[in-house]
Amino acid sequence: MKATTKLVALLFAFALVVAACGDDDSADTTTAATTADTTADTTADTTADTTADTTADTMAPFEGTNVTAPNCDYGGVIESITATDVYEVVFSLCKPQPAFPQIAAFTPFGIQPSEHLENTLGSPLDNPIGTGPWVLEQWSRGDSIIFSAFDDYWGDQPAYETLVFRWATEGATRLLELQAGTVDQITNLSPDDFSTVQDDASLQFIPSANPNTLYLAMTNTFAPFDNVDVRRAIAMGIDRQRVVDNFFPEGSEVASHFTPCSIPNGCTGDEWYGFDAVAARAALADAGFPDGFETTIYYRDVFRGYLPEPSVVAVEFQTQLADNLGITVNIVVMESGEFIDESTNGRLDGFYLLGWGADYPHVTNFLDFHFGVSNPQFGTPHPEIYEVLSDAAVIGDVASAAPLYTQANNAIRDLVPMVPIAHGASASAALGTVENAHFRPFGAPLLHRVDPGKDTFVWMQNAEPISLYCADETDGESLAACQQVVEPLLGYAIDSGNVEPRLATACTSNDDATVWTCTLREGVTFHDGSSFDSNDVVASWAAGIDGRNPLHVGNTGAFEYFSYLWEAVIPAE
Amino acid sequence: MTRRFRRRMKPIDSETSGADESPSNAELDLILEAPTGLWRGAWRRLLRRKTGVFGLSIIGVLLVVAIFAPVIAPYDPTNVLIGKEDVKRRDPPCVHLLGCDSDTPQHILGLDGNVRDQFSRIVYGSRVSLALGFLIVGLAFSVGSVLGAVAGFWGGWTDNLIMRFMDVILGFPALLLAIAIVAALGPGLRNTMLAIAIVSIPAYARVMRSSVISIRELDFVAASRALGASKLRILWSRVVPNALTPLVVIGTLGIATAILDMAAFGFLGLGAQEPTAEWGSMLARERAQVFSSPHLVFFPGLAIMVTVLGFNLLGDGIRDALDPSLSE
Repeated sequence: MKATTKLVALLFAFALVVAACGDDDSADTTTAATTADTTADTTADTTADTTADTTADTMAPFEGTNVTAPNCDYGGVIESITATDVYEVVFSLCKPQPAFPQIAAFTPFGIQPSEHLENTLGSPLDNPIGTGPWVLEQWSRGDSIIFSAFDDYWGDQPAYETLVFRWATEGATRLLELQAGTVDQITNLSPDDFSTVQDDASLQFIPSANPNTLYLAMTNTFAPFDNVDVRRAIAMGIDRQRVVDNFFPEGSEVASHFTPCSIPNGCTGDEWYGFDAVAARAALADAGFPDGFETTIYYRDVFRGYLPEPSVVAVEFQTQLADNLGITVNIVVMESGEFIDESTNGRLDGFYLLGWGADYPHVTNFLDFHFGVSNPQFGTPHPEIYEVLSDAAVIGDVASAAPLYTQANNAIRDLVPMVPIAHGASASAALGTVENAHFRPFGAPLLHRVDPGKDTFVWMQNAEPISLYCADETDGESLAACQQVVEPLLGYAIDSGNVEPRLATACTSNDDATVWTCTLREGVTFHDGSSFDSNDVVASWAAGIDGRNPLHVGNTGAFEYFSYLWEAVIPAE
Repeated sequence: MTRRFRRRMKPIDSETSGADESPSNAELDLILEAPTGLWRGAWRRLLRRKTGVFGLSIIGVLLVVAIFAPVIAPYDPTNVLIGKEDVKRRDPPCVHLLGCDSDTPQHILGLDGNVRDQFSRIVYGSRVSLALGFLIVGLAFSVGSVLGAVAGFWGGWTDNLIMRFMDVILGFPALLLAIAIVAALGPGLRNTMLAIAIVSIPAYARVMRSSVISIRELDFVAASRALGASKLRILWSRVVPNALTPLVVIGTLGIATAILDMAAFGFLGLGAQEPTAEWGSMLARERAQVFSSPHLVFFPGLAIMVTVLGFNLLGDGIRDALDPSLSE
């Protein structure tokens, strides 16, 4: 008992000493702080001096930064990005990329100040700073995002003061809000509501021309799809016009080629087979299946611009295959993630319904992605197609590449890895009073060019952005919001996939499209007042493309568009 | 004879003997034991109840519709009318008698999302629902009653083994267990039918067991036993026929549940697969159109409701008819 009391007393005494020392420590800290202040002052002075010096000596050397891959073995396209001058950035590529401008114009490659990336430790998720026409004011999670016009914007000033982003998952809800006039424009109009909007004089119907393709795929590693004659018979035996007329919204087209014609070189070569049930049946009989065969059609029940009503369209294919070719088809609906995994890895033993929406307006985004040597989704890739494609991919000039794309498209028609069905139309809607309301084929609308005729414009989309750091986001809803704040070097035109200058006034390449030099716009300021230069470009790109960079953090850290469109991210050591 | 027995005798007495003098006690016992008398009496009592007759007539009409579906339905249920008639998908109902333009083809319940005549699909859907309803209950009834009879009659470890197994099945939420079975076997009508049948077995087994236990102690069973009848014979010709009564009620109500379950499976995409016309899956496919094309959701739903109502009313009617204490 006595011992315990002693122990407690001892502990108490010790605690007192520690506390006293602690006081001493805090005293020290105060001193340190003072010192720091002094230092800060000195530094500030010094900086001021330096600035003064620089102003005096205008020709101070520009220290350009760069990001360089150790070598090209990592599999990606980017070899180095170098700020060669205050307003010049050079991109050196590991292999030719004629589509560089189209890809670099994509919102995830937007530019933020290098200091801001450092200050936010590489994840400016809800406080982006850009050069765009809109400054982020407030993001009320779950409710809305408010932007205000940026007075020092380098381009045309918006016609109104405040831009509001809102969202609603249900198509019916969005339409109701628009009809009530509480929002000015809505996205993803459901096909059933097309006529409602068209018939309403107070609303504008805005068709969207994002190039897309629905195709009926077959995997050539499974019988009987290993037989090219079977595939050709199926290509002839489907009345695609009937599918488009009955199940697609107005404005949709039957696919004459895999790639939509709005993409340069997309539809060179012969048109797809015309529908001929008799010939198709005869061809199937010649291939050894006079009575057809039994197989499965797989799909996922997910609404897309290229496939408005998956379950209904699947039944239509089931009907047509049975009526026209005698093929008995069982319908299997799969969970979306599983479906994508199974289909794109070539593991589905029957037909499957899938489509593609363009990421950037270049034919490689359609053909090389689907029919390239490394894509197993239609079974074993055909050298007749992929060899031509890889030759064509390095040619920058559209006209020079045309003969090769003609050859590739004809080979696709001849070998029928899949049957292209339709290019689906989708639509947006706006109040009739909104001037210049539009919906671009690529990227979200340029909302600073819209005039609602009042101070505020309310935009309603189908989901809340995940974050506002779009280097590490992929969903259209996030990209639409980011695009208002942050600008990439280039951008897409308001009505086509043509590339326009944004922060770069031009990007030019050497002869084989392996070195791209971008000249930057001068006199541009960021929303924080800092001025834009080539080091900001390098810093923004480095954060995404360079796995070794301490700022390669982002939201999930996946940086999917960097690793997909530039084929790989420079790996961390 | 107990009071309860007297009561049970009374209606049988009045029906079988009519205006004759009251029979003796011995004769009454004989009448009681004759199963035909019980069923005939029950049938007559059923016909005297309005709800029972109503249920019976609904089911009668449905049976006629199902059997003569090819005659009643104007179109084949899988016939896609694109290019064959000037119609659009999801066209609303058009009945010439109700003022629909006579140039427009008549589709009294409209067209579905794939341009098929919905009335024909609902008519053919009755075949699927009724056939499966009866099949499921038939399967669950036969397996369940055999298991229950064996458990109840032999008792001991047999009883324990069978009934604990039934308890295990009952331990799961029925629909969840059925979904698990379908997930394991793969979607489709046959597997769904099996799954629903399996999860409904315990209900029949339990009721059968309790009936058998009470009946095997009755005097006439003891009499048979004393006369030297084999156990199987006693079970088969003495106990089971008398224990079936409550099972018939459960079975009739069970058909309603089975049809609802089938519809639920169809709704979840696990039951009938396209292009088979099945009410639950028809409902599910068009559920997003509930505001734009309500007829595509309303009529399959109505069909399910009416059928289930029919079996429920009939089931209630049979229960009342078999329980003479209620008929007085």
